[in-house]
Amino acid sequence: MVSEGSTASASESKPLGIANDADSFLSPRFKSAAAMAGWDEEALLIASLVVDDTPEREFQQKKRSVLQRKSPASGSRRKRRTLTSIISIPVAVLDLDETEPTVKDDGPKQEPKSAEAEAKKSDSMVEQKADASSLTSSTLPCMDKLREELSCAICLEICFEPSTTPCGHSFCKKCLRSAADKCGKRCPKCRQLISNGRSCTVNTVLWNTIQLLFPKEVEARKEAKECNSREKKIQDPEKAFYSSLQNYDTRPIGTSSRHASTRRRGEITVQEENGEWDSRVTQRAVSSNAESRVQSRMHRRSIRPMRMATRGVDVRSSRRGTPDQDQDAALALRLQREEFLEAFRDTTQVHTRSSLSLTRANIRAIASRAAINLRISGHQNL
Amino acid sequence: MVGNRDHRPPLPPLGGGRSSSSISLAAPTSWASTTSVSASGKRIQREMTEFNLDPPSDCSAGPKGDNLYHWFATIFGPSGTPYEGGIFFLDIIFPSDYPFNPPKVVFKTRIYHCNVDSTGNVSLDILKDNWSPALTIAKVLIAVKSIFANPNPYDPNAPGVAHLYLADRAKHDEIAAEWTLRFAK
Repeated sequence: MVSEGSTASASESKPLGIANDADSFLSPRFKSAAAMAGWDEEALLIASLVVDDTPEREFQQKKRSVLQRKSPASGSRRKRRTLTSIISIPVAVLDLDETEPTVKDDGPKQEPKSAEAEAKKSDSMVEQKADASSLTSSTLPCMDKLREELSCAICLEICFEPSTTPCGHSFCKKCLRSAADKCGKRCPKCRQLISNGRSCTVNTVLWNTIQLLFPKEVEARKEAKECNSREKKIQDPEKAFYSSLQNYDTRPIGTSSRHASTRRRGEITVQEENGEWDSRVTQRAVSSNAESRVQSRMHRRSIRPMRMATRGVDVRSSRRGTPDQDQDAALALRLQREEFLEAFRDTTQVHTRSSLSLTRANIRAIASRAAINLRISGHQNL
Repeated sequence: MVGNRDHRPPLPPLGGGRSSSSISLAAPTSWASTTSVSASGKRIQREMTEFNLDPPSDCSAGPKGDNLYHWFATIFGPSGTPYEGGIFFLDIIFPSDYPFNPPKVVFKTRIYHCNVDSTGNVSLDILKDNWSPALTIAKVLIAVKSIFANPNPYDPNAPGVAHLYLADRAKHDEIAAEWTLRFAK
């Protein structure tokens, strides 16, 4: 009875752990844990199949499979469940004399324990992962050697998009290319002639292996690469853009500053509003205090430029690039739409004139931005 | 020595940024790249770490000061050669496009050697035409050390020394040992 209860509790706490880290699913450690919990190979296999097919329903299905296999346990489990739902905190009272209460108390008493074990396990897993990511130790004993083997002799880092020479040596594609450009078309390792550094291709198998083994390093390099390329491309235009933005803040009702702020939340709000659009149009209720609301809106706008000024720096850092032409066009359209919507919402039919003027101002601002962009691209071409 | 892993260039922060790339709060990620060094700097830094982890025997090397591109190195004269017991100092200057161009290695300690001229320039093929970006400072120092034991009189920087080396090896060794005693101890 007691053992049954414990197995049931353990097996109930197990799926939780699996749900947490499904990939560590069939690790030897898990297997041993499962063996302790009374799971046999078949149940494991079934569970793994379930995990593979339907990741979101794995929890329930696995439980069901457990139930199917261990029908006698279900009775005590149900009892225990009601108990645990009532008593959330582990019971302090331990009645060890009778068998029946022990089983009942067993659940809540054991569950925290197994949960603790689970937590410990996941903790150690996290630790392991952290170790793997840190440069010293590893999940595999040969990780250091692998790192050495898979690193590029030119940049001394893990090969990024490795390219393999005819003589069998692999380097980062970029490294190999620059080596071929600057040091002649010879393999950096063995000095054999390599046909052409230009036409080097990525060794897919090796690249995939590297991505699997060192996901963090690869991710970091991707990130760095992206940052670098973007920054090089846009640093000056961005400065120009934002300085010009500052100038335009004094322009009609701070529309250009609005651009910047709506650009940040634009995507969300516009989508929302598109959904609401129809109902809004059909309603079109004329409100009496619309005029005052417009006033307050104007007021809000006049405040915005000041906020913008303080936010300028943070905008610059958070926005890593100015949008390109297409993005710009889309943005203009979106802004226009939003402006219309907002105008309708606030002023409704009566104040279409004000919305019109707003739109006009908006379009003017867009035009000026386009001019800026043209200037920027002109600079870039120079 | 082992603790030197800390010198690795800081990796840019992970996560975030990528998934929410639209217009969002991925602010801090953009800072890493602006503070990180160039490709050559990264490579030199990595080389330094690896050198400190596993330095070749009888050699040491490291940046002179704050400048990562300017190193100094020492080589102990190998035993069994006339340079035995001497400590030779070298300057290493990395080009900005390292490792695609070789570093410049100059002897700071005077040495009587046919491949080293009076200003300390070394004639070593791997530091000129035979340079490969896969070579590291550790390998360069090993190569420099090897010319102590095996001078190459057919590609001399100091023709007089090379001539003596070929004509009268004993005399050459005697002078070399004397110079070592005088300048390198």
